Amino acid sequence: MKKTQPVIELAVSEENAVRLASQGNAEAFTYIYEQNVTRIYNYIYYRIGSEADAEDLTARVFHRAFGHINSYVEKGVPFSAWLYRIAHNLTANWHRDNHRRKEVSLEEQYDIPLHEDMPELTLEKSQEKETLLKAIRRLPPARQQLILLKFLEDLSNGEIAVIMKRTEGAIKSLYHRSLISLREELNQINEQNKNLND
Amino acid sequence: MNQPGNNQGWGIEERLSILLKPVTPDPAFIHSLKARLNRTPELMLETSRKQINLLTVALGLVTGALLLWLIRRFKA
Repeated sequence: MKKTQPVIELAVSEENAVRLASQGNAEAFTYIYEQNVTRIYNYIYYRIGSEADAEDLTARVFHRAFGHINSYVEKGVPFSAWLYRIAHNLTANWHRDNHRRKEVSLEEQYDIPLHEDMPELTLEKSQEKETLLKAIRRLPPARQQLILLKFLEDLSNGEIAVIMKRTEGAIKSLYHRSLISLREELNQINEQNKNLND
Repeated sequence: MNQPGNNQGWGIEERLSILLKPVTPDPAFIHSLKARLNRTPELMLETSRKQINLLTVALGLVTGALLLWLIRRFKA
């Protein structure tokens, strides 16, 4: 399954688009926007779980990026990596400002296609997804970012290293630690659910 | 402690692959944001802000030099 175009593949055409956009070329803006809007939206959506807030933050990412495109220094790093960093920072701010916000049921938020012929399967999958997302959200922000970039965006360790400004080795190590933490969080959630049901 | 890569670790990776699917944003939102970005002359504002900053610094330098010259002249 191929999800979105890998970050590195876009680097050459993006480089030109960014150069043109910084000169005020509207088509270049549109190109950069269209190439990145869905992936940035997805990243934010899975980090915060609210469609309305994901739209708001996605808009802010692009306003900020295009407003500061002149200060973007091309260092062989894809423009999308810069967008992800802005998205990551805005998401962190959102979490800081909303940490007491009432949690909305993830089941209500995430749209899982219904199979009319197999309602039990759909419900099971929905609950499994809800538990998994709950566990992901309990992880530190860097680990959440890594898991989403790996599984949602299908990025390699090298591409994630560029976005997160770390070495590939560090990403590999963080990935292993993240999976261990995730499994522990899942066990805790399952244990809590079991106690509630007893 | 179990390491990722064993049965449980792979189990989590499989679950992540299966359950974390990209969602499609509302096309109306995509379209309206594109229109808003095209309408907002943020880039121009950024450029003019830079120019204003440069102009302010230059004006400050000229005023400072003029004041120094006047003070020296009065002292003389």
